[in-house]
Amino acid sequence: MVTEIGSGILRKFTEATETLVNTELRDWRAQGGKVVGCYCSYVPEEVITAAGFVPFRMRGTGSTGTDLADTCMGSINCSFARHSLDMGLSGRYGFLDGVVWTTSCDHVRRIYDHWRRKIDTPYLRLLSLPKKTTEPQVEWYREEIAMFKETLEKHFGVEITDERLWKAIRLHNEIRGLQRQLYELRRGKSPPITGAETLAVMVAGTAMPREYYGQLLRELLQELSLSDGHPDYRARLMLVGGILDDPAYIGVIEEQGGLVVTDSLCFGSRLMWTDVDEGVSDPVMALARYYIADRPHCPRMFGEQQRRSAFVRNMIREFQVDGVIAERLVFCDYWTGEQFMLGEDLKEEGIPYLKLDREYVQSGVGQLRTRVQAFLETMGR
Amino acid sequence: MDKRDTSEMVQKGLVRYRQERDWFNFLNGLLAQDPSEESQLSKSITEITVDRYDQIIRCAEEGKPFIAGYFCAAPEIYAAMDLPWYMIMQTPFLAASAPYLLEDIDACERMGLGTDWCTACRLSLYYIEAGLSPPPTAVIGLLHPCDAATVLHQAVVRNKLWRDIPMFCTDPPYFEDERGIGYFANELRRMAAFLEEHTGHKLDIDRLREVCQESNKQYELWIEYSQLRRAVPCPHGWGIGGGQCFAITQVFETGNPRGTQWLRELVANAEKRVREKRGSIPKERIRYFWFDLLPFGWVFEFLPWLETEWGAVMVMEMFGYTPYSPIDTRNEDTMFKGLAKRNLYESPMVRQARGIADYFATDIARVVKDYKIDCVIWPGHMGHKDGAASIGIMKEVCQQLKVPYIHIGLDLFDKRYTTPDECKDKVSKFFSTMGLG
Repeated sequence: MVTEIGSGILRKFTEATETLVNTELRDWRAQGGKVVGCYCSYVPEEVITAAGFVPFRMRGTGSTGTDLADTCMGSINCSFARHSLDMGLSGRYGFLDGVVWTTSCDHVRRIYDHWRRKIDTPYLRLLSLPKKTTEPQVEWYREEIAMFKETLEKHFGVEITDERLWKAIRLHNEIRGLQRQLYELRRGKSPPITGAETLAVMVAGTAMPREYYGQLLRELLQELSLSDGHPDYRARLMLVGGILDDPAYIGVIEEQGGLVVTDSLCFGSRLMWTDVDEGVSDPVMALARYYIADRPHCPRMFGEQQRRSAFVRNMIREFQVDGVIAERLVFCDYWTGEQFMLGEDLKEEGIPYLKLDREYVQSGVGQLRTRVQAFLETMGR
Repeated sequence: MDKRDTSEMVQKGLVRYRQERDWFNFLNGLLAQDPSEESQLSKSITEITVDRYDQIIRCAEEGKPFIAGYFCAAPEIYAAMDLPWYMIMQTPFLAASAPYLLEDIDACERMGLGTDWCTACRLSLYYIEAGLSPPPTAVIGLLHPCDAATVLHQAVVRNKLWRDIPMFCTDPPYFEDERGIGYFANELRRMAAFLEEHTGHKLDIDRLREVCQESNKQYELWIEYSQLRRAVPCPHGWGIGGGQCFAITQVFETGNPRGTQWLRELVANAEKRVREKRGSIPKERIRYFWFDLLPFGWVFEFLPWLETEWGAVMVMEMFGYTPYSPIDTRNEDTMFKGLAKRNLYESPMVRQARGIADYFATDIARVVKDYKIDCVIWPGHMGHKDGAASIGIMKEVCQQLKVPYIHIGLDLFDKRYTTPDECKDKVSKFFSTMGLG
């Protein structure tokens, strides 16, 4: 399934997901712009934007092996962590001026330990991300963000005023709003864009200079609003999972006739379903509250399982989803547990549900095809 | 849920618990047949264990408050509140040698719990999903040291039978500094308030002081004992020592003089053996540091073999390591901060796995130097993803120290993952190649 748009604008987004350094980012660098890598969607990117830099979501795009990372990590570590560390060790992240982590999971937080020992990136920061979502944790993360801002200012010699931070928050909120509009278009019977293409648009939004991305996304929305859409599919699917940044994976699912119409993914709806509150006085507190309390959470956050499950069930209703596919990277404990819990919840509601394990770099395409075909058949599609 | 349902839930939850109690009684009987001082010390521990099982069974049967808690979630507070407690992860931690363990692992696989998820965590969830854990009055859950623990407790909250049982989890900060200590101390205060609200038991600060003071004595004795293990030959092997000290100080007898007395007897026994230059085996040839939990599920099939076949003595292991500092009992604030430090930065596994990887490096360096270690064994439990992600750092520190290092790759509870024979083969080749033994 491919969406035909005359201007070829969609190609710009897919190019940005297929390469590590997209054309616009290269131009940005060539003009002296700085780029800071972010290892998790809980890194408050707005602070980096406010500093005048481009936040770049870390990936392993283009990685063909993990030989160097395997000297640091074991075979029971997730392939995303190993591929992205490998790219760092082999110098392919040399274009970064800094890298920021949160203590997101057992695999990714250890990348920080190796990075600071072995890779010469000028600025590194690890944020202590709470695992609960109540007021003391909001306050803790407010302090973390404030310290992050201070170190960024000190290291790069920039001043991040409240005014600049609000401007960045507004820009990121605006992008979130545009991305939500893109999802809205998929609610209809003939979504004008496939799931694979949507993921490409979302991934590009973590890799391009944000103002340029927003402009491009506006143009895309305009073109899509005139498009005929995709009426010819066997089932409407929702994809749930963690760090999936490869549209080709969804492409395999869609080749079987299952159109992915919505998701709960790290690079998907969880990034943008809510906005940072612009109606409070302290921008740092606004960010802390957004990241700890307000945004849709991943399974790392304790006390949120019911809300996560409700988020998925609402999506199922709103997007008229016929079945749910939950994917996870092998060795990811958070998504192992979430797949189990969500599966039990959906079983109670009689919603078709398929659990899939995968490696970060796509392999086993034939197996994936067979599983999806069988799933669609069990759904009577 | 009506009273009859609750009663059925309690009785079902106690079936496996009683079996475990009986298993320890059986072990107690075996130990009674060996008059050696060391076996009698071990027997005291199994008696203490049985007492704890009986206490929980009584509370459950009589409807008295008891909680599920953790060693690294301030058991000093439970002791001061006179709250009997057990661990949701009790079976894999304490009773993994029980004969039904493999059947239970198979059952949790059938339930659809991911097989690359730590066996200790998925087993524990299986027991709850299957109604085989006694439902407590309240639960203190755990969000550290690993992802698997967080997932386990989220799943417990979701479980139909347990979702009405109130749960509190302390949120762990990542770095070791004053800010983190203050934050975690406040989390412990909130935990104490939660326990007061849901159990009716009150926390008396003077009683907490008594418990902390007594536990300080326990830790002093444990440290003294650890120092005795530096002796060549090491006075004790894998069978007695750190694991039991941990069980006394952090699980069964926290701040209780009965535990302190046991530690005194252990120190006396070790001192005597050091004076007599009597090692745990007739000829100690290799002194190794086992940097993890023991392989509880199949311990008897592997560790005795290391002693008899290779003269290899486990001089130190993760749970026996003693980086502890005493709790300042001057006032409520100093006590809570001391508890925060002890439970977050010092208690075993949590210390190494929760925060930055430096602890892996510094602990290896400290133990290798202090305990005259010939080699470091990183067992590589399939659930310890943060540890696996630190192997490069461990290897490098061992290279700097010029001490051989091996990473096995096993499941501490399921011997089918890497069989004892495969482990023996791997370790034998390592010892031979490194010219050890």
